[in-house]
Parts: sequence; C-alpha cells; structure tokens
Amino acid sequence: MSSLPAEAVTARGSRAPRRMAGRLAGSWSRHGLAIALVAPSAILVGALVAYPVVRTIWLSFTDTGLIDLIDGTGDWVGLENYREVFTDEALRRALVNTVVFGTVAVVVTMVFGTAVALLLNQRFRGRALLTVLVVLPWAMPAIAASSVWRWMFNDQYGLVNWVLVRLGAEQFQDYSWFTDRLPAFTAILVVVVWQSYPFIAFAVLAGLQTLPKDVLDAAKVDGATAWQRFRYVTLPLLRPIIAVLAVISTIWNFKIFDQVYVLAAGVPERATDTAAVAAYRLAFASSEFGLGSALAVVLFLILLAVTLLYLKLLRGQEAT
Amino acid sequence: MRRSPLYAAAIFVGAFSAFPLLWVLITSLKQRGEIFTETPDLWPNDPQFSRYADVLCDSGGGRALLNSLLVAGTATVLGVAVAALAGYAVARFAFPLRRSFVVAILVTQMFPLVVLIIPLFIVMRTSGLLGTYVGLIIAYLAFTIPLAIWILRGFIETIPVELEEAALVDGATRFSAMLRVVLPLAMPGLATCATFSFINAWNEFMFALTFMNEESKETLPVVLQTFVGRGQTDWAAVMATSVIYTLPVIALFALLRKHLVTGLTSGALKG
Repeated sequence: MSSLPAEAVTARGSRAPRRMAGRLAGSWSRHGLAIALVAPSAILVGALVAYPVVRTIWLSFTDTGLIDLIDGTGDWVGLENYREVFTDEALRRALVNTVVFGTVAVVVTMVFGTAVALLLNQRFRGRALLTVLVVLPWAMPAIAASSVWRWMFNDQYGLVNWVLVRLGAEQFQDYSWFTDRLPAFTAILVVVVWQSYPFIAFAVLAGLQTLPKDVLDAAKVDGATAWQRFRYVTLPLLRPIIAVLAVISTIWNFKIFDQVYVLAAGVPERATDTAAVAAYRLAFASSEFGLGSALAVVLFLILLAVTLLYLKLLRGQEAT
Repeated sequence: MRRSPLYAAAIFVGAFSAFPLLWVLITSLKQRGEIFTETPDLWPNDPQFSRYADVLCDSGGGRALLNSLLVAGTATVLGVAVAALAGYAVARFAFPLRRSFVVAILVTQMFPLVVLIIPLFIVMRTSGLLGTYVGLIIAYLAFTIPLAIWILRGFIETIPVELEEAALVDGATRFSAMLRVVLPLAMPGLATCATFSFINAWNEFMFALTFMNEESKETLPVVLQTFVGRGQTDWAAVMATSVIYTLPVIALFALLRKHLVTGLTSGALKG
C-alpha cells in the first residue's frame, strides 16, 4: 500500500531465493558461489564498520591519549569515561543538545515536509516548477549549505537580519546569531530543516499519490471539510509512511555534525556542540580518544534504540 | 479567490527553497564593494566571472575539485563493483546467515560516522595510510558498499529469475549467467546506486577533514570549510566554491529524478 521500496523489497526478497533454491537444489557448490560473492563485501564491511565499532567500545573503557597511539592503547579505566560523560557539564550539555535539538528538528521537518507534500499534491499552475525548486536544497552538500547560510545569518551584512528588520523587527538590526545558544540553534535549525524537508516532502507526496481516491471523495460527498479529510482520512492512511520517515529523520538529526561544525564554529564555550561534534573534538582537538569514544558510544546506543524501532516498524509493515 | 492562499504558500515555499541558491550565485559574481553593503544589492552590477577562475586556479579550489572527483569516483567504482556481487547473491541465493547479513547491512547505514572514525584514524596512522588518497577511499567504502548492496538487491529482485534459468539450460555456468544476463539488465540499478554512492562520498566531510592532513590533498568540503573559518572570510570565494561544489550534485539529481525517493528510504542521501 505504501510506495516505500524497503518494505516491498523485503517482502519480495523472502520469496525469491527460496524459489530459486528449490529449483536449483542448493548443493554445497551453490552455497560456495554465494559465499564467494558475498565475501568481499562482508570482509570490507567487517573491517571498516564492525571492527571500528568494537574497538571504539573497547577504547571507551581506556584513557587512551595521543602518546598511547604509538604503542597501542592506554590503561583500562572501567566506567570512568562514562561517569565523566554524564557528570561533566559540557558533555552532558552536548547530549541534551543532541536529544532536544534532534527532536525539535524532526518535528519541524516532518510538519513542514508534510505540509509541502500536501501543497505539491494540489493542482495549480507552476507546480512542476515548484517541484524542481523544492529539490534544490536537498541537492546542496551540507558544507556548502552551512557556509552559505552562515553568510546569510551574518550580523551586519546578512540577508536574514535585513529581511527581519524590514518586516518590522527592529531588534534584529546587527543581531548576532552565533553568540548565544538559543539563537545559534535557531539558525542551525533553519539550515537543517531547509536541507532535509525536501526528502520528507517527496516521500510523503509519493504516499499521498497512492491513497485510494474513492475514500477521499466519499468523505468530500459526506461534507467533511478539508481539515477533517486530512485529519481523519489522509493522516491515518499515511501513518505507516510517516512513522518510518520520522525514524529516518531522527537518525539523521541525532547524528548531525557538518552543519553544527561549520555554523557554530564561533559560539562561545561550544554551547551548541552536539554529541557527534563534542566526541569529535574530544578525540581530534584534545586527543582524549578514550573519553571521545565513550561519548560516541552513548550516541551510538541512542541511535541503536531508534534503529531497532525502525526495524520493528518495517517488520510490522511487512506483516500487514 | 480560494486559490490565492495556495499560490501564496507556493510562492513562500519556492522562495524559501530556491532563494539561498540564487543568492549564492549572485554573491559569487559581485564585486567586493557590493557584498559588504547595509542594504543588500539584489543584482551584481558588474558580474565578476573571473572569480571562478581565481578560485579554481589560485586558491586551491581546482586541486580540491580534482581530489574530490578522484576520491568520490574511485570509492564509487570500487564500492559498486564489490556490492554488485553481494547484492546479486543476497537477491538470488539462500545461504547461511543471509538474513543476518541483510539486517547488518541495513543497520550499518544508521551508524554515526563518529563511532568509526577513531579506530579508523588509529589504524591508518599505524599503517601509513593517513593523508593518502587510498586511505580516504577505503574509509568511504564503509558507507558506499552497504548502501549499494541495499539498493542493488532491490533492483536485481525485479529481474525475472527465468532469464537466468534459460541461460543455465543453454549450458551457461551460474557465474556467467550472472555476468552476461543479470548484470546487463541491472545496469539502470547499477547506475542509480553509483550515483547515490558518488553523491554521498562527494558530500562527506568528517573523514576528509580528519584523514587528509596535507593541504594539497584536501577535498572540496574541507577547503570550503577553511575558507569560512578564516578571520577575514572572503565571502565571494566561499560563494564561488559553493557553486562549483554544488553544481555536479544538482546535475546528478537531475539524472536520478525518478529514483530520488525510491532509492532513498534506506537513509541514503545524508552523512
């Protein structure tokens, strides 16, 4: 019912190989070929993903610093790094930033993306043009988008302040966006939403176009208003898609790095660092590889929980 | 009458989406004096196309462009070649741990790269790969391979099994049936996932920032970021570099069109 390929693919995938195996009688030589085909990928993914994850977890229990890199690893310190992650003010703030900013970004992106999808689902002149315009922010690399928006948020010459002042908000004359936590996050939010709403909009639009027309027409005949049709017919039908998109969006926004790294480079006390940025700086600016690993692992565990939810959602859809 | 809110919304969304890009283009062509003005000038009065030449030739932008093309291109070719084999096997064979492998491939795409970067850095440091193209390309395989397997598997499953079986009946081996029958039919799928891989590698910033410790080997996002980070930021150069950095991706998006959303629910187009 939805047009999400992940679901369609998994549903198909479970049938095709069995049929193949039945017809071709899976002897050992057949298995041999399959294993030979999968082996290069499995080895590379193992070496480049599985091994680093395990090693990061291991490092997170050590006090590895720059000198220790030469002979291997630092000393075992048990849960000391984790204690520090949750007690150190700056690190705890980074975790709070990640969860709070991530959640706000997901909600705003989802609401705005869905609204744009509903707009693109209407018939009006210039719709094809609008579709192209909406894709553009998505096509811009994060570092380019962040650089450009940093200029637009410039206190003296930025376009954002100029527009806000013209709209009557005089306090934005020479307003500095990147000296305080809240305004800095507001600016980062605008950039993140600008970049990620197109994907949500197009995915929801694809869902909207598969909705049964007759149900919506019936609601219309029965006198339901546009809002009622959206609230009681469209939204419940879209729920599976929106749930999956919300999880994908959460994963993206919780591991956010590029935009924060570029936009918030000058924010005092690194008040807007998210977990990914803080972990990176610990490792590569302060050479605290053990502590950085611990923070990375905590972020990883948060994302793992979200990912498990995602898999459960996919499986739930497969079943229906 | 009832249509006007619709058009108002459309104009707002269109302006919000496209204006920043238009503004980059305009600013990149402005003279320095026109950039730092209290009242923004909406048009370059004397377009400076030479700025693009400056960025490409003098400021290391051209070298960074070549570095980016080299790294993203190689990572794509290698990643897709390796992934094509696995994608085929996963789509066609039942083998031990197949399901676990598929789930693992899906899950790796959710990983924050910061979880991988510290060990990768340590290993590259000890093996002398730090600051080499090879090192960065290998690191990029960490995300190009899983993504390519995931997308290709879906494409291959849409190709009828009967075609291969016919080839087998005609005396072809399994392997040559795959090479001669399935892979040609999977070309659109290969092209799509190569495009996705390339965009991802092209956009990647954190690995490039960390592993390329020589200026001569920096890729475009790293160079762009150093432009912005400088005390006296040359905003015109930042804008021109952003245009150079973004245009290839827009071109590839135009090629992808139909597949943008389809190829994507696996979380494909973001670091």
